[in-house]
Amino acid sequence: MATSRFNPSPMFKKILIANRGEIAVRVIRSCREMGISTVAVFSDADRHSLHVRYADEAYHLGPPKASESYLLIEKIIKIALASGADAIHPGYGFLAERADFSQACQDNGITFIGPKSSSITAMGNKQMARNTVRNAGVPVIPGTDGHGDLSDQSLLEIAPEIGFPLLIKPSAGGGGKGMREVRNLEEMPGLLAVSRREAESSFGDGNIYLEKLIQGARHIEIQILADQHGNVIHLGERECSLQRRHQKILEEAPSPFIGDDQEMRDRMGAIAVQAARSVDYINAGTIEFLVDKDRNFYFLEMNTRLQVEHPVTEAVTGIDIVKEQIRIAAGEQLSYQQKDINITGWAMECRVNAEDPFRDFIPSTGTISHSLIPAGPGVRVDTGVYSGFEISPYYDALISKVIVHGETRDKTITRMKRVLNEYRLIGIRTNIPLHLALLDNPSFLSGDFDTQFIEDEILLESETSFDAALAEIAALAAVLATNQHDQQSAVVISRSKRDLSNWKLAGRREQTES
Amino acid sequence: MSSDRYYATIQGTEYVIEITSETSVTINGTIRTVDYQTLKRQSSCSLLVDGKLYEPIVYQENGGWEVLIGSGRYIVQVEDERERRLRLATGETSYQPGRYILTSPMPGLVIDIPVKEGDQVSEGDVLVILESMKMQNELRAPRDGTISRIHAKVNGNVERKESLLVLE
Repeated sequence: MATSRFNPSPMFKKILIANRGEIAVRVIRSCREMGISTVAVFSDADRHSLHVRYADEAYHLGPPKASESYLLIEKIIKIALASGADAIHPGYGFLAERADFSQACQDNGITFIGPKSSSITAMGNKQMARNTVRNAGVPVIPGTDGHGDLSDQSLLEIAPEIGFPLLIKPSAGGGGKGMREVRNLEEMPGLLAVSRREAESSFGDGNIYLEKLIQGARHIEIQILADQHGNVIHLGERECSLQRRHQKILEEAPSPFIGDDQEMRDRMGAIAVQAARSVDYINAGTIEFLVDKDRNFYFLEMNTRLQVEHPVTEAVTGIDIVKEQIRIAAGEQLSYQQKDINITGWAMECRVNAEDPFRDFIPSTGTISHSLIPAGPGVRVDTGVYSGFEISPYYDALISKVIVHGETRDKTITRMKRVLNEYRLIGIRTNIPLHLALLDNPSFLSGDFDTQFIEDEILLESETSFDAALAEIAALAAVLATNQHDQQSAVVISRSKRDLSNWKLAGRREQTES
Repeated sequence: MSSDRYYATIQGTEYVIEITSETSVTINGTIRTVDYQTLKRQSSCSLLVDGKLYEPIVYQENGGWEVLIGSGRYIVQVEDERERRLRLATGETSYQPGRYILTSPMPGLVIDIPVKEGDQVSEGDVLVILESMKMQNELRAPRDGTISRIHAKVNGNVERKESLLVLE
């Protein structure tokens, strides 16, 4: 451990978690293990959420809508001050990448567990980030650089110069929201409108820009850690190519595409560290790259926060990234040097979303009537839901993350299949069938896929997924359910029969009708 | 009482299933030993068939059953003897919708309705844009037709299964 007895850093006594759901639970767990007490905040929809039930203290924020609860900077700061929290962990989403929130914390003498406000600004605006890292010698994707905030008119003029297909991307935010693929000039005006609208409603900023779409590209990212003493290290890569509508679905570490190419891994790591240094980055962050078929890689963006998929890196490095975040924020030196980082085995994460994979992935809401969480060797499940919990339409569809660790990629895949088959989440629909189809797909198994793969190749409704033996079981299950149904209604009917026969009923009906 | 004989159909394949006792059924004439246990809610069950275990998830949807097993989904129509006789007597083959009511698949906020009453639409046209769980979802026409009524309002909140518009 780097912490010196001669210069002890004042570790936090109490941390407020400005988030909800699985990530708030995740942060609370690390705090607990560090002996730090926790403060949860909650909206009207979340009094029963696990993050509230696991915390030491919890305070009400407001109505369910995020804009009236989890996005209320002033109210959250007020709660932090009143409860005596000395630091705030923002999780991901909500206020995690809001420079004004980081600044508000600082102004009120509360430590923001994340980067400085200036780094968030520099990386948060995707256009500005492209310029900054390019000046630091990091390769970027061709796009609308240096054009500033552009009108639809000018974007339509610039588009043919970049060439189709291209991507419309919001300047603010991430996670695929507001992003649209454009194949030609004709469909572009409509897509610009949709993109601006979604960007405006998700991030409060309707600015968008264009980037060339690199076909057959893979999405590979590097996790970095940077302390306040100038130490920056990377924790290797995560393969995040498996996406649907630009939302990651399944992530793994290491990347099967990089494989044994240690030279490429080192080079990407070094460039990621360089990109982080270009904005004086402090805390945990992620540099996302697009990698083309010829193994060229381009800077995509930097996420100045904890990532949803951080557990796969934790599994292969053995490092608790949230604890490192807290130590860094408290002023400690990194616990590790680059040479201490070893990648062991293989890890994979499946994001379980409350959505119906058989009905165009429409969100699914309702009460979870039955939840059976898988366990056993090499398994970790991060979730904020449980049996009896109601999934509301107000927040992200991600309800659970299943992470497994194994010796090799093959063994990890076999383990993930075992684990997902154990998982029962009844009462709502989930995308577990999509994951199971993916884990059986030959291209996935051979590591041959790109960011379009799920949308192009994984078709759950296709005839090929029809299994004659299982169809017979399905027929039987439906018949048994029908029979049970019939018997239950029969019980009700026979009870009334005692008092009133059908003949009498018929007679009464005739009387009333006449 | 009539026998517990049922006719299940999946993608045109018919299975004649007779429940002969608490622990046995015949499927297309083959005897199978079954142990059927429903867990908590009916959608979750544990089913032993000749000693092999299955845990399908069974949903009742649109008058039929939707059964999920692993990565597969099977839409099953089930009839008992009486229902089958009735259907055959009326000569009805399958359900032919004259009008289609677009209902909200989830609670959410109506962002846009890019059609108006009287519009001719083609299969795949966007009828309503609904925001839920921070994502905008495009609800499309399942077939060609004319918009006869619009119930939903832009910027209005809708509940799950609420009628949004009618396609004739």
